[in-house]
Amino acid sequence: MERGFVLREGEGGFERALGILDMIDKFPDALSDEDVEGAADFVYPDLRNTVLGLLELPSSRQLEVLFFRRVLRIFREAQRAREEGKKLVFIPFTFPPEIFWAFDGIFPLCTEIVAGAIVNICAGQGERFWDFAMGLGLPDSLCSANTIGMMNLIHGPGIKPDAIVYNTPGSCNPNAKIHAFAADYLGIPQFTLEKPVDETPRGREFHYRAFLRLLEELEEWSGQRLREERLREVLERSYRAVDLYNEYWELKKARPCPVPNIFGMSLLVLRSQMWGREEAVEVLQRMVDISRERLRRGEFTAGEERARVYFAYIYYLFDFYNYFTWAEKNGISILGDILAIHHFPEPDFSSKEAMLRLMADIAFEYPMTRQMGASSISVKWLEDISRAAADLGADACIFGGVHACKHTLGTISYLRRELMRRSGLPTLILMGDVMDKRHLPMPMFQEEVKVFVDQVIAKKRQERRRRRGGTA
Amino acid sequence: MGAGGETVTRDVLAGETAFLREELFTDYVRRWKEGGGKVIGYSCLIAPVELMEAAGLLPYRIKALGSAVTELADAEMSLYNCSFCRSCLQLGLDGTYSFLDGVIETNGCDHMRAMFENWMHRVSPPFFHYLKAPHSFRDDALEYFRGGMELLRRDLEEHFGTRVTDEALEGAMEERARVRELWREVCRLRELDRPTVSGSEALDLEVRGSSMLSRDFASLLAGFLEDRKGAVGREPLARLMFCGPATDEVAWFAELEGMGAVVVADALCFGSRAFLSEPPSGGDPLERLAAGYLGNLLCPRMYGEYARRRDFILQAARRARVDGIVYLYNKFCDLHGVDSALLRRDLEREGIPVLVLEKEYSARADLGRVKTRVQAFLERIGGEAAWKGASS
Repeated sequence: MERGFVLREGEGGFERALGILDMIDKFPDALSDEDVEGAADFVYPDLRNTVLGLLELPSSRQLEVLFFRRVLRIFREAQRAREEGKKLVFIPFTFPPEIFWAFDGIFPLCTEIVAGAIVNICAGQGERFWDFAMGLGLPDSLCSANTIGMMNLIHGPGIKPDAIVYNTPGSCNPNAKIHAFAADYLGIPQFTLEKPVDETPRGREFHYRAFLRLLEELEEWSGQRLREERLREVLERSYRAVDLYNEYWELKKARPCPVPNIFGMSLLVLRSQMWGREEAVEVLQRMVDISRERLRRGEFTAGEERARVYFAYIYYLFDFYNYFTWAEKNGISILGDILAIHHFPEPDFSSKEAMLRLMADIAFEYPMTRQMGASSISVKWLEDISRAAADLGADACIFGGVHACKHTLGTISYLRRELMRRSGLPTLILMGDVMDKRHLPMPMFQEEVKVFVDQVIAKKRQERRRRRGGTA
Repeated sequence: MGAGGETVTRDVLAGETAFLREELFTDYVRRWKEGGGKVIGYSCLIAPVELMEAAGLLPYRIKALGSAVTELADAEMSLYNCSFCRSCLQLGLDGTYSFLDGVIETNGCDHMRAMFENWMHRVSPPFFHYLKAPHSFRDDALEYFRGGMELLRRDLEEHFGTRVTDEALEGAMEERARVRELWREVCRLRELDRPTVSGSEALDLEVRGSSMLSRDFASLLAGFLEDRKGAVGREPLARLMFCGPATDEVAWFAELEGMGAVVVADALCFGSRAFLSEPPSGGDPLERLAAGYLGNLLCPRMYGEYARRRDFILQAARRARVDGIVYLYNKFCDLHGVDSALLRRDLEREGIPVLVLEKEYSARADLGRVKTRVQAFLERIGGEAAWKGASS
């Protein structure tokens, strides 16, 4: 049996991941190459690529140690939440966590972040939980990211939420259904926030009222009132992170891109779990500082930036080393994905009502909710991806298809066609899964991307140079 | 395959397509069009046919009648999308549905949304309206949905140059009520100890009726019931209930019933769930219509309503004294796939055996596998000896 696979008494996947993550506290602040090599050799194979993915490149090493220490802190707090009289709720990655941080006594834990921790830290990469879902008779076309997270709860032992809150009805069936399933199966309360597929004032008003109703339900259920001062405090902190996010986005525009690829994963976790807390500000500040310094020094991991790609959908998140690090070492800058596209409304902290409006608007415009929950998935998706790709100077897009995501799979042909027609951007379509490596193993991912970069992007760049009058 | 083989295949496909076109563009629809009538397509049960009828239009539920050809649709949607939706889109793309004067999109599920988006981009029907339905039945959701119906009414009036009066709407609602009443009678005959109506016959009625005005659908049902008066059925080898999403595969159903069991009840989208939209009485007709549809949509797209769906199935199963339930859905249908897992647990706890069957829409090649599983299920619920005796 592989090291790391054993679950101890009373321990589920979350606890196992947390136990292993504990080692990050024992790391020195400044790790040498030898330290990283030693750590990678010490751990079992599944964790090895996580360790290397985070720490091998000096460009991201320091940041990722800090980042994972903060993840560890949040996980520990989640584990203690009940003892401290707080209600623990699981939320999907499409739900702004700051809404829950604004409650004194509710602790949100993001389903997909927990799943990501299990997949990237525990031996077996969470497959036992996926297989458990199949054993329950669930369809194999669900999303591994939330199914693994939810099955960890049902499978037990270990962490159990007091409620599940989700906002994906209508924008993502697999996500909403598995959250509803877990709540029904466990017999715990479920709360929903419906985002209508409607961007008109009528749709927005319906959403706002549904949002207020959700808050009322949460207040009644938790026995706590949402306090205005606390709300302001959380929102102000959120918007400090927003300022840093804007800087981060600007830095991405530089050529070569000074932002390490793995920061894309870190940003996703910050936004889905830590936004509204000081940890998000602290880590983002460091991300910006590191990237700015790299820009000043002209640092780039590979000799040449061979390609700037925008991921039209989401990243695959089960082997950081062979994904983010491999791309960076090969001169491929990953500029972002759909979850990196944020539309933060103008802040207004003047009154409780203004802040509630603001929070509802943040939820309305949240990545994926905004596109997949739009009146037209394909039109809104195209609009956002083409704008982001143009803004960051992408050469091409990559669509990392996920077998669960029927909305994007049903409209990707339109997106690819229109990206090419309107912006001249070629799109590579891949089929895999966000957290289950069995659908598209990394060597195949790398092969596909390599051929795309060599054959399509390189030729496109040559052609561009030729047109500008340079040599090919 | 050589060139000759390809030609033969193409000819067969062309023949099938021509046949399908006739089946879909029925004499009834043809006569309606020849009389200057307009036809409007919809797909999901949440689309209010009464509103379309009150606008003087013929509501036509988009279907594929078992056609498994999807080559054009596969260029737009992936193979991970529901094969029923792809089959329907195919018929839009290849021109089979060119007789539709408009289409009403509804947000039934992710697959259906993608199907309609592609329909909008690639088919560009003369009229396209998106009726957005909430996923819960609460006051605010009902108000929003009622508003959506109002927008649909205005859009229909504007585009088709008609007036949808409250009186016309009341009239259409009455006609639909008559359809529901007659359907209940059909169901009663299915539930008899010796059923005089089979499940495939019921499905066929609904499939045909979903391309008709309610008043003519009512006549079809009334005529059917008249024919069955005094009929004596046979005791089935097993009494089954079928549950699941939209499927219009009548021949497929008949094939399964040919194994000896009778589908005495159902909770299918082309079936009993299509007849639940009973509006409350009194008050604004549009509001009543909205409440009737949203409040009775026992579809897994609705959230926080699992217990209602389970209880509906349980009651129907008990009323029809079923021996077992077959929950069937097309591959990649997450809504029904997830619900089926919970339902199997809960219904089995109530002593009702459940078979969950995932299948491809109209895949004839899959029929053998499906029949084997159904046969094994029948052996389980009826006792192996009894089943072997029956089949000999």
